[in-house]
Amino acid sequence: MTWELFLLFFQQSLMSGLVTGSIYALLALAMVMIFNTTDVPNFGQGEIFMVASYIALVLLVFASVPYLVMIPLTLAAVFFGGAIFQRLVLKRVALARGASVNLVIATLGLSYFLKGVMRQTGIAEVPRSFPALFPTDSVSIGMATATVQDFAILGLALAAMAAFFLFFHFTRTGRAMRAVGMNPRAAILVGVDIERMRWLVWGLSSAIAALAGILISPKLLMTADMGIVVILGFAAAIVGGFTSLPGAVVGGFVIGIVENMVGLFVSSKAIVVAPFLAIMLVLLLRPQGLLGGKATAKKV
Amino acid sequence: MKIGTYIQSALVVTAAALLLSGAAGAQEPGLSKDSIKIGLFGPMSGKALAYGEDPLNAAKMWYDRINKQGGIWGRKIELVQEDDRCAANDVVAAVKKLVEQDKVFMLNGGSCSTATVAAQEYVLRNKVPFVMLNASGDSALYPPTDYIFGAISISQRAVGGTMIDFATRSLKVKKLGYLNHDDAYGAWNLEAAQFMAKEQGATLIVESVNPDITDITAPILKLKASGAEALLVTAYARPATLAIKKAHELGWKTPIVIAVNGIANLVQMVENVGTKEAFKNLYIQELLADVPGGPKLQWVYDMYKTAYPELAKTPDHPSPYMPYGLASAMVVTHALNLAGPQPTREGVAWVLRNLKFESGVMAGPIEFGDNDRAGQESAIFLKFEGEKGVLQPGVYSNKWKYKG
Repeated sequence: MTWELFLLFFQQSLMSGLVTGSIYALLALAMVMIFNTTDVPNFGQGEIFMVASYIALVLLVFASVPYLVMIPLTLAAVFFGGAIFQRLVLKRVALARGASVNLVIATLGLSYFLKGVMRQTGIAEVPRSFPALFPTDSVSIGMATATVQDFAILGLALAAMAAFFLFFHFTRTGRAMRAVGMNPRAAILVGVDIERMRWLVWGLSSAIAALAGILISPKLLMTADMGIVVILGFAAAIVGGFTSLPGAVVGGFVIGIVENMVGLFVSSKAIVVAPFLAIMLVLLLRPQGLLGGKATAKKV
Repeated sequence: MKIGTYIQSALVVTAAALLLSGAAGAQEPGLSKDSIKIGLFGPMSGKALAYGEDPLNAAKMWYDRINKQGGIWGRKIELVQEDDRCAANDVVAAVKKLVEQDKVFMLNGGSCSTATVAAQEYVLRNKVPFVMLNASGDSALYPPTDYIFGAISISQRAVGGTMIDFATRSLKVKKLGYLNHDDAYGAWNLEAAQFMAKEQGATLIVESVNPDITDITAPILKLKASGAEALLVTAYARPATLAIKKAHELGWKTPIVIAVNGIANLVQMVENVGTKEAFKNLYIQELLADVPGGPKLQWVYDMYKTAYPELAKTPDHPSPYMPYGLASAMVVTHALNLAGPQPTREGVAWVLRNLKFESGVMAGPIEFGDNDRAGQESAIFLKFEGEKGVLQPGVYSNKWKYKG
């Protein structure tokens, strides 16, 4: 490999990795939010992302709703969908005082339900996409190439992450959510309505997944199986530290860049295994994740 | 192959089949004085419905036509139809029901290769002649067996082989970028592509990707950086679309050739890519004798409109795969015709193993042989700039042969 080719591959890995990584980061953020407040990994996150993308498609392409109306409508629909699932299903499962694995099974059930419904509609029979809000003209930075749309994806994803950071640190509701994640009993004692926080977290987490879907769908193609990308979100969350929101963001970018570097410097066949290698390395060298803090035994 | 050669081979086949028929005295399953039962199966529901619905319709309309013309040797074709949902378990269940309960004489079906080949063991154990509908089914065709015949549309090996033949002979390029899947499908088409590239003195630079890949930047950039003079894509519609999009984004203006695996819905593909600029130098592989709906195939599309007037008015009908079902049913009726008035399963299987004919539907002749159970191994190519396909001169063939 020549030096010039090395530089090209390296710069392109960073550029493409940051763009796709921003989507993985959003998905990881959504998962970590739910895990922090309920101790349940949401295996339905990918399908929420998928359904949100199709809602956006239907509104934009079939109902000819303008982009700026479609975005809040989709986010709102998915927010309420997530919140309703928490109130109707998860709350009841939790009240049944079963093992917490029942909650995990409930999220798996959500995943299968959403995928099945989408297949029944027939809309997912062929891969689809919808027009991008931003131009798809190519722009070169150094030796790397990206589109205006790529920069918009990265910029909007970063803006959303910053907004959530501010929300969690500087608003009463955001702080209450963090309190529920840190110590639910203490949160109840200081007057936090824990049930309200839980459905709010589910709603917000679903809205974040919806945002990821809206941003990436014009770039990728929609199918009923597109939720599989959530595995990369899980990988990002594990690499970043499953309890850390900033860690989820860092993990997303790491996975995006590692995927591209492995594809360019090792082999295209190895792209799919790259995130799992990253997980193994992190678990071996820093089991709590990059920003997960020290691993501690949970008090009961 | 010349018409005379076909007639000659048909006579030889008929004579041998008659000998085999005479040898078998017992009544064959599914055969009566007035009818012959054929088990027809494919996906009639589920997510793979689009792959099988119209091929099944096309097969039925061909059998109807044969019945209206008086049947085969005076026997009307009686179809028993089963839904296999393109799932391996359902295929096996359908085949067992058709053979054991409905007692069909032979089988015609299967639209999805992976699911269809699941019937292989049962079919061979029961020695039932089986002609696949529009599944390529390479793994059931190589090594060849006595009773299973497929790839009436094309085999995966021939997909790869014909792509190379087109790129080297028509586009006149010798350094080829090749994007395939990292699964069995990809391995099959790559095997023939590598053989053909060697034959034609071309260099193949291969990038194999997972069909569910989300970011295709790495393989496309590597192929571009390798200096490949054309990009050949044998992946499914989703990765193929991502490849076209990415090549355009990277400013790679080399010719792109998309295999039939990736062109299920061209209108949707253009919408998904988002700009017709990306299609300026794009070619697609087609397996039919003409452009779909072209003069040579008008009779096929007219026949479909007559048989299914309401369905023909609905969007996406007939599907691009429709004619493949017709060709598959033609294989069955040709074999039954040549097997003579007292056909046996053994006789029909023997006829199939030696069958050669021009369907008038597919790009090349349908031809099996001693070491070959893949029916069709040719393709035509269209230049597709985002709206209409323009036929490129010539028919392109795969010269890879099984040598096991």
